[in-house]
Amino acid sequence: MDWVEVRGKSADIAIEAAMQELGASSREHIEVEVIQEPEKGFLGFGGQDAIVKVKLKPTGGRKRRRRRKGGDRGSDDRSQGRRKQDGNRGSREQAPKQTSGEGSRNKGNGGKKGGGGQDKSSAPKQSEKREEKPDVDIEDQAPVVEEFLSGLVSAFGLEGDVAVRVEDEVIIADVTGPQTEAMVGPRGSTIEAIHELSKTVLQRQTQSSARLRLDVAGYGERRRQALSIYANQLIDQLLEDGGEVTLEPMSAGDRKVIHDAAAERTGVQSYSEGQSPQRYVVLAKVGSDEEE
Amino acid sequence: MSDSGKIVEDVVGYIVKQIVSKPDEVSITMIEQGPDEVLAEVRTAKGDLGRVIGRRGRVARAIRTVAQAAAEEEGVTAGVEFVD
Repeated sequence: MDWVEVRGKSADIAIEAAMQELGASSREHIEVEVIQEPEKGFLGFGGQDAIVKVKLKPTGGRKRRRRRKGGDRGSDDRSQGRRKQDGNRGSREQAPKQTSGEGSRNKGNGGKKGGGGQDKSSAPKQSEKREEKPDVDIEDQAPVVEEFLSGLVSAFGLEGDVAVRVEDEVIIADVTGPQTEAMVGPRGSTIEAIHELSKTVLQRQTQSSARLRLDVAGYGERRRQALSIYANQLIDQLLEDGGEVTLEPMSAGDRKVIHDAAAERTGVQSYSEGQSPQRYVVLAKVGSDEEE
Repeated sequence: MSDSGKIVEDVVGYIVKQIVSKPDEVSITMIEQGPDEVLAEVRTAKGDLGRVIGRRGRVARAIRTVAQAAAEEEGVTAGVEFVD
């Protein structure tokens, strides 16, 4: 099954992280089992993290829901909730809650994050739109991405195809063609940058930001396959030797590849530990005691 | 060659215009820094510069990365500067 076991400072933090790992967008989509409640340590010793087990509920029409926090900034497409306000340029930092026009700056409202509920003020300024922002339908966001990417390929003077589709509330964009290899970059760094820019353009042009997955020249796919093969080799070894294997820190997307690989094998379980960007996966042979 | 930096200019110009609110006011000035090095100076309408730079420079960094990829197509290296 697709259980993911996660620890964190609190059950909430752990659940949040697990959701990102599973790609769940709302708590309605998951089942949670708290395995261990967190405990405060004494002078920093002997404290215990919360440990939760989370799994996706069997799917039935996933709705997109924006999370406003995420313990994990490892992967780009996770952090868009935060960047949602970019269109208003740092409004979170500067938005001094416009009470009614003139600057009655109440101090100390700085910590207010993008919760919609708080400002029902009819503030006509565009700096506090937040949640009521017209959410452009994801089907209408996809063409914006497609157009941007096509234009970018042309600007590079390359020949390539851009295909964009929507799947499970995620925009999936594939740029293909041998020449587009030039848009991959060392370890996919150019893809990452293009991903960032695509989302920026999406945000600027539609005030919305669906999750976006981008692959160029099949790089991501090749990489996932390689990672999956690697995971399976580790699992083979693990099943022979027992115990646990700790992997290097990875992005949420990469960790999911490992979890998926582990989920398909019997006798092994996987979970993530640590705080991103140092968050890593542990593979453990089932039955061999992890740690007490 | 005199054309050096053309792709960089196209790519940077294209991206920036997609992001700003006033695409007509975007200008890109290419400066040859050396035989294999170009610099793209980006100017935008006043209020747009922040958008192009993004929070904590994220967008600017992404533009630089992509500009470098474009430069490699021409066998050069490229820098991008955002001019106030």
